[in-house]
Amino acid sequence: MSETPSELWELSVEETARRVRAREVSAAEVTAAALARTEKVEPLIAAYLEIYAETARERAADLDRRLAAGDDPGPLAGVPVALKDNLSLAGAKLTCGSKILTGYVAPYTATAVERLLAAGAVILGRANMDEFAMGSSCENSAYQITRNPWDLGSVPGGSSGGPAAAVAAGSVPLSFGSDTGGSIRQPAAFCGVVGVKPTWGRVSRSGLVAFASSTDQIGPLARGVRDAALGLAVIAGPDAKDATCSERPVEDYRARLEEGIAGLKVGVIKEVNRDIGAAGFDPASARGWRSALDHLAQAGAEIVEVSVPSLDAAVAVYYVIATSEASANLARFDGVRYGRRAAADNLADLYINSRSEGFGAEVKRRIMLGTFALSSGYYEAYYGRARGVLERMRHELDTAFTKVDVVVTPTAPTAAFGIGEKVDDPLAMYLSDVFTTPASLIGLPAVSLPTGVDDRGLPLSLQIMGRPFDEATVLRAARALEIQVAWQHAPTFRTVRMAGGG
Amino acid sequence: MALTTEEVRKIASLARLRFTPEEESVFAHQLGRIVEYIDQIQAYEGEEGSADAVAAVKEAEDVVRPCLPREQFLANAPASALGEFLVVPEIKGGSDE
Repeated sequence: MSETPSELWELSVEETARRVRAREVSAAEVTAAALARTEKVEPLIAAYLEIYAETARERAADLDRRLAAGDDPGPLAGVPVALKDNLSLAGAKLTCGSKILTGYVAPYTATAVERLLAAGAVILGRANMDEFAMGSSCENSAYQITRNPWDLGSVPGGSSGGPAAAVAAGSVPLSFGSDTGGSIRQPAAFCGVVGVKPTWGRVSRSGLVAFASSTDQIGPLARGVRDAALGLAVIAGPDAKDATCSERPVEDYRARLEEGIAGLKVGVIKEVNRDIGAAGFDPASARGWRSALDHLAQAGAEIVEVSVPSLDAAVAVYYVIATSEASANLARFDGVRYGRRAAADNLADLYINSRSEGFGAEVKRRIMLGTFALSSGYYEAYYGRARGVLERMRHELDTAFTKVDVVVTPTAPTAAFGIGEKVDDPLAMYLSDVFTTPASLIGLPAVSLPTGVDDRGLPLSLQIMGRPFDEATVLRAARALEIQVAWQHAPTFRTVRMAGGG
Repeated sequence: MALTTEEVRKIASLARLRFTPEEESVFAHQLGRIVEYIDQIQAYEGEEGSADAVAAVKEAEDVVRPCLPREQFLANAPASALGEFLVVPEIKGGSDE
């Protein structure tokens, strides 16, 4: 994280793989360095539910044997990687941060994870998350609270809080999460790392536990845009095991990454600008936003105002559609085929007791909300109407993208908030997804990258969204901004505010 | 719109969940507030979706392929027998509802 890395754990993904492939360093040394770093930071942040120290060492030794024999493991040779606890790795536990899946062992490996292994990655562990990816703070994990490496009294964001904290803390240079309404981008923003939510259909979801199938996507988190682009390139592309995965060939995301953004038309949404200008918007985040726009302009981008009036309804639409899909997807957890089975005298009680004992409060809340939105008498007014407003939003964004190449917003309305600050107010928690939900609903690619820090030294971020399957432009814009910002901050592992405080 | 505890109980039964009376009143309040917020979508005129998105999803060929081996599937079951089948608890009586 310093300008000239002196430790192996500080190296970028690209540089780690380059050195391992050139046999300048062994995969075993890289893995040992990652495990040592993890041992040091993990007691402070609790990013992992399980660390695979032994299997990681064995895997690294195997890669070194292959390298010695002249074999090239691939573009992630020896790179330590953390996986969110909803990505299947055959033979490893998989809980989705839920008690209902205690003891569950993944019977097969997710396609994205298979591709990481085929590229030479070393899986270091299973990282914490909000239960079933439902949350914006990682506090909904049934197992533990993960802390933000920048402020141990603040949340790491969610739901991919574990993967984001692990990368920010230097445990791994690359991790993978899932994003349904902002679950990669928002924790990336809170933890000062780069997070990519690919276009819906760009990455196979085979082996990802489903939350809301019309928006779920797997994506990378890394400390820089180049590494995130590499991580995405490895997992993207067609897969016969996921019919919703596009057959469109994957672009070479790194080919034009350094070409800059002179003349690129960057859209700023009028309605977002209005919100940021309004009283009550976090002043530090507003300053961060304006400074990020200045950086984009200095890099040669042309800032163009666009209008997306239905954006105001994005959170409302999202919490109807995502919860409706979740209520259907989570019906499979019934105590019969896998997971927790509660004692019961009849079949209905078997289902009810298993679910009521196994799911946490937020998961129940969302299943209830989705069941309500789909129930007889309310379906048209809620689910039907939400789909209609979503299509309006798609139309408005399509129109915006005829005028601009990318659209930018802050990733989140504030920097990381305090542990305990929003747990009793679900609606306030949902509203932290205000800027990330539109790209999820419409299926657009979006990148979050750090652009500054607030008064307390906590990261502030910008989100860049693009046209469907135009990850290459989004990443190029992110890379140009990254160079312009020249962000040199590093997490301090101190406690800026006390847990439970404001 | 506010939700009553009776409505919460009805939704819970559809969702195969059960709450204590205290939880019911907390949920009625929280869900009521969330639904009130969501109600802003009623002010928007919706649009029809295009059929393109659905058409873009290619149906899988209807051919027999190897699937998850039975023993791997059963390894995650709460109860199974003879490596052959799931065991469900004995239903001692009462209706399904």
